[in-house]
Amino acid sequence: MRLRDAPPPRWQQVPPGLPDLGPVEAARRSALCDLLREEFRLWGYREVAPPTLEYLETFTRGAGAGTADRLFKLTDRGGELLALRPDFTLPVARLAATRLLPAGGAPLRLAYVGSVFRGQEEGQGRLREFTQAGVELLGGEAPDADAEVIALAASCLRRAGAAGAILHIGHLDFIDDALHPLPPHLREEVRDHLYRKAFVDLDALDLPPALRRLLRVLPDLRGPDVLRRARPLAASPRSARALEELAGLMERLGEYGVGDLVGIDLGIIRDFGYYTGVVFEAYGSGSGYPLLGGGRYDRLLERFGTPAAATGFAVGVERLLSTIPDAVTPSAEVIVLASGDAPARARAVRFAAGLRARGLAAVLAFRQGWDEAVRGAEAAVRWVAQVGEDDVRVLDRAVGREEHLSLLGALRAIAGPEDAGRRGGADRVG
Amino acid sequence: MWDERREVAAPGGLTAADVLTVAVPTGRLFAESISLLRRAGVLGTAPDACGPPQERSLVLLAAAGQILVVKPADIPVYVEHGAADAGIVGRDVLLEQGRDVYELVDLGFGPCRGVVAVRSGEENAWPRGRTVRVATKYPRIAARYCERRGWPVEIIALNGAVELAPRVGLADAILDVVVTGRTLRDNLLVEVAEVFRSTARLVVNRASLRTKGAAVQRLIAALEELKTQPADEAASGVAGPAPVQRAWRDG
Repeated sequence: MRLRDAPPPRWQQVPPGLPDLGPVEAARRSALCDLLREEFRLWGYREVAPPTLEYLETFTRGAGAGTADRLFKLTDRGGELLALRPDFTLPVARLAATRLLPAGGAPLRLAYVGSVFRGQEEGQGRLREFTQAGVELLGGEAPDADAEVIALAASCLRRAGAAGAILHIGHLDFIDDALHPLPPHLREEVRDHLYRKAFVDLDALDLPPALRRLLRVLPDLRGPDVLRRARPLAASPRSARALEELAGLMERLGEYGVGDLVGIDLGIIRDFGYYTGVVFEAYGSGSGYPLLGGGRYDRLLERFGTPAAATGFAVGVERLLSTIPDAVTPSAEVIVLASGDAPARARAVRFAAGLRARGLAAVLAFRQGWDEAVRGAEAAVRWVAQVGEDDVRVLDRAVGREEHLSLLGALRAIAGPEDAGRRGGADRVG
Repeated sequence: MWDERREVAAPGGLTAADVLTVAVPTGRLFAESISLLRRAGVLGTAPDACGPPQERSLVLLAAAGQILVVKPADIPVYVEHGAADAGIVGRDVLLEQGRDVYELVDLGFGPCRGVVAVRSGEENAWPRGRTVRVATKYPRIAARYCERRGWPVEIIALNGAVELAPRVGLADAILDVVVTGRTLRDNLLVEVAEVFRSTARLVVNRASLRTKGAAVQRLIAALEELKTQPADEAASGVAGPAPVQRAWRDG
């Protein structure tokens, strides 16, 4: 028998993997983005906004031709291939290398917040559009620039309230140098297994015994005594230097006061073709994925014409959001009754304007009586006010107290004394 | 300060960092997986610690955590997302899915081989000059295998009884796993190429490896000690791995 149930029409749905947030979810995400923006601003990072679409060639030039398959692509009017950005690092590198760095002013501290797109991850339980908030420090040398960026990342996690999240810091030189003596095809195979984290397959390769031992313990090369355990495994001066660099980095991070949020983890392997030194990822309880990731990528900007040292990180905003507690975000803080005749309505409108000028979200309730407004308000709305000819009736729902106050008294009761400056700063976008 | 084991109270005097959720597959690898976890002390040593292992109960309470019983193809999904900290799964499934999980121990049991087979009598005419139709439970492996050889191919993704497809003209060839080769013979098929070798593997979520590092290392050590000897030959890389995402900033 054929089922006659028609599928719901397309216009009622959004394509799979694309988020479609209502006000509560969007408010949570915005609040986290605002917090990260503010933190970036406090550290002197200025926001840039590259376009959502770029030429496909920009991405393949930066990340390699093999990445083109996994992008959202479309064709421009002249037949040029365009792609939605898969991250911000590539567009920001393009922008900086072609326009900002040639104009001088390095080191550049740049920040970004926005959507990125991965075309081919449908059905993997991953979003195809998600939000990244991050920074790039261009023209800053190791280890000072690495320390600054990692300390900023730790500070973001702390401010966001990601309890228990730890930044795991590795160094690609440590392992990469051990691979150099290998014939090229074998080296590629080892790197490929490392990307895939297929340590069983690594163990099955025909490798020099010392390298094999190193690869076997790599996933567990972290913890307080990691440097002591790793030093005998450092096969070359470059590997040993990587460990010294990490030791120096940890000392600097101690100075930043984030020593309790960071640890060396030589098992952190990010892309060899992209990253060139210190790499890091944050892990916390509540998410099986890294909350943020980044590292040093000194070879990328030269692909866009201006060689420069570079380091940075991106927060996966939705992933971080999934690990921090839900905060209730009311649609408004004050409901102001605006029923009645024209003068009453005008008084209500002016009172609401006064509240907004003090930084409070105020909503006018037309056609509602007092009891109806009080009963109908969301639980999170704290204040209900009705502006009469001589006084203001104010209900503080938090304590259940109802008062009749003067106009100014009501504003003060609700918004606090004007000079307290309790609002405004946190909402300002840097 | 490095503080891997956060002191969060959990039942039985364990901290949250000690409690592991391990996913085991239904089907071919189920009994051996349960037996291994029992011997490793994860399930408790008493035979009735969690009742008789039954594929029908989806969650088993274990000595130091819990066991989830899920379909083999779902193990990497659970582990990648962190719904399970670790899982036991055949290498064939990992090759097909290319999930971002740590593959840390070759458990040695459940050996099988992925092969291409054609109708008996057609083995000398393989590969054919024209588009081949390959029926398989491993569409991504099959597509990569044929692509590397430059064969024009039409993949027919099936969920089981793959060996039937050539007999009824649905496909020219199959790519499937064989243990003894008997099913192939029974269906008048002949192996023409080996694509990969597989055994059961322990996979671990990348966050769990770090947030529950000590417990994961204890599990690995116990399994390393117990695992049966892996197949004499190293797992072949003929199929090549599924591509994992790379080259972009991954937040």
